[in-house]
Amino acid sequence: MLAVEVKNIKKTFQSKQAIVEAVKDVSFEVKKGEIFGLLGPNGAGKSTTILMLTTLLQVTGGSAKILGYDVSSQDKLVRENIGVALQDTGIDNLLTARELFFTTARLWGYSKEDSNKRTEELLELVGLTEAADRRVKTYSGGMKRRLDLGLSLVHSPKVLFLDEPTTGLDPGSRRVLWDEIKRLREGGVTVILTTQYLEEADELADRIAIIDEGLVVAEGTSDELKASIGGDVITFAFDTESDQKLALKVLTEGVQEDNLIRITVEDGARKIPQYVNQLTENNIEVSSVSASKPTLDDVFLKVTGYRLEGAEAKDSEIEEVNN
Amino acid sequence: MNTKITFFTQLQILTKRLLLRVARRPLAELPNIFISAFFLFVYDGALGGVFGGSAAGTPFDFANGNFVNFILPVSIVSASVSGGASGIYLVEDIESGVFKRYQSMPISKWAIILAPMLVGALRVLIQASLIMIIGKIIGADPAVGSIGFLMVLSIAFLWGMGFAGYSVAAGVRSGSSQGAQAASFLFFPALFLAPTFVPREALRGWLSTASAYNPTTYVIEAMRAIMVEGWINDVIFKGYLAAGTFAILTLTFAVVSARKATEKA
Repeated sequence: MLAVEVKNIKKTFQSKQAIVEAVKDVSFEVKKGEIFGLLGPNGAGKSTTILMLTTLLQVTGGSAKILGYDVSSQDKLVRENIGVALQDTGIDNLLTARELFFTTARLWGYSKEDSNKRTEELLELVGLTEAADRRVKTYSGGMKRRLDLGLSLVHSPKVLFLDEPTTGLDPGSRRVLWDEIKRLREGGVTVILTTQYLEEADELADRIAIIDEGLVVAEGTSDELKASIGGDVITFAFDTESDQKLALKVLTEGVQEDNLIRITVEDGARKIPQYVNQLTENNIEVSSVSASKPTLDDVFLKVTGYRLEGAEAKDSEIEEVNN
Repeated sequence: MNTKITFFTQLQILTKRLLLRVARRPLAELPNIFISAFFLFVYDGALGGVFGGSAAGTPFDFANGNFVNFILPVSIVSASVSGGASGIYLVEDIESGVFKRYQSMPISKWAIILAPMLVGALRVLIQASLIMIIGKIIGADPAVGSIGFLMVLSIAFLWGMGFAGYSVAAGVRSGSSQGAQAASFLFFPALFLAPTFVPREALRGWLSTASAYNPTTYVIEAMRAIMVEGWINDVIFKGYLAAGTFAILTLTFAVVSARKATEKA
């Protein structure tokens, strides 16, 4: 049985002013024990999809099942089997972490004694034992996120939904949270996470769905998605705008992006001299040229037509030539 | 190992959590607790001289010379405005994401909504108790005997819960603490379109008609029957009925509002 099965779900919001299709048509499947990443910019429909899968929003069309339970007709059974940590950390700032874990454990049906035991286990798991009796309002952003994650694990859910779990965190805190999410996968938990960070999707997700304007525009493992680009990416930079314009006429397969031109070809490193010669013969001065394996950012550009804001190419570069 | 828990256990845990929040901000609670007691002194001091001792034996002597017995229900009912703070508890939970966390768990929506209402009603109960103690000190003496204090408190509890439910619904619908606070404006027509300072028979024209449709009227009259007249069962029953119906209606209104608010989110 699949952990998550989503078939053509839709969500439409209707107000007096307009009808907004937040999710137009989203389908994907997640196997048990996988980390599945929903990657997309703000407003793509990721969070709305998560809200529907966690029974917090009604589905307008299509169907979705979590561990075989339908999110619309078996919502209570779905809620019993999932853990949820949404973008806004659902934390009461006036209470302490210990009080929050205890209260949540009691609400999940643990006895007082078991709630105390579970509280200690989870405080240890998310590294908050020392800060357990401090009010949450004194916690850093990273501590709050860890607490939020811990609270979603109180009942040992089989499927965990994390909506942008590291947004706003510094790189160190982000790394800590990633390690915790990976440990959960090792423990057999299925994780569905949304992110707008390419690096996060690449690092964590076994499989990724790129979602844009309410549609899944690509799906696969990180390697499969990168392979779909069909080769390496050669990037040319120019000192002047006129050189860049001329270069676009010469490199007919090139795609302009800001002050760069990119070409996707097989065996990119070997073909760099050929392209540089072509440009030099046309009196075009190239300031730098590099070849790299495609990144998720390149995949994103290919399937959506634009880059994900703040994305950075991090994949290993093969070669860089500075003129 | 976790097991399924009953609605009442859920309600108890959620209410306890809110009470813990209240206890963490004691200074925010103190003004509300004392304001109604303050009004009891003001009403008794300002109006007691007119309607109380000096009116003894005249047609204006509504409480046989004991004006505290007559005016005490007004202070109790005015304390119900503090139930209006309940909406803020829920709005804070919505803003912080706690409300969504609870909704993603197999917890009854009714328990999530009823918990802040109960806390609001408990606040009213504490205020009403304080007013009762002060009332007793300055001469209040229920016509039905000491049990009258408990009966008035029980009506106040139901009435406070009704007002709290209205506040919760307003807070959930507006999604803001200002919306929840705005709910307290209901208090003014509710309190003053009623036989607040004189018996209903002394009200004239439109005010007399309006007071007949105002549930506050029946709540005040039941309390007055207990404090001034004695066991007038139909009047007392109407008071409980009005307060209880108000509480049930506002709870339903609050739950329906919460469902709509979730869908809006």
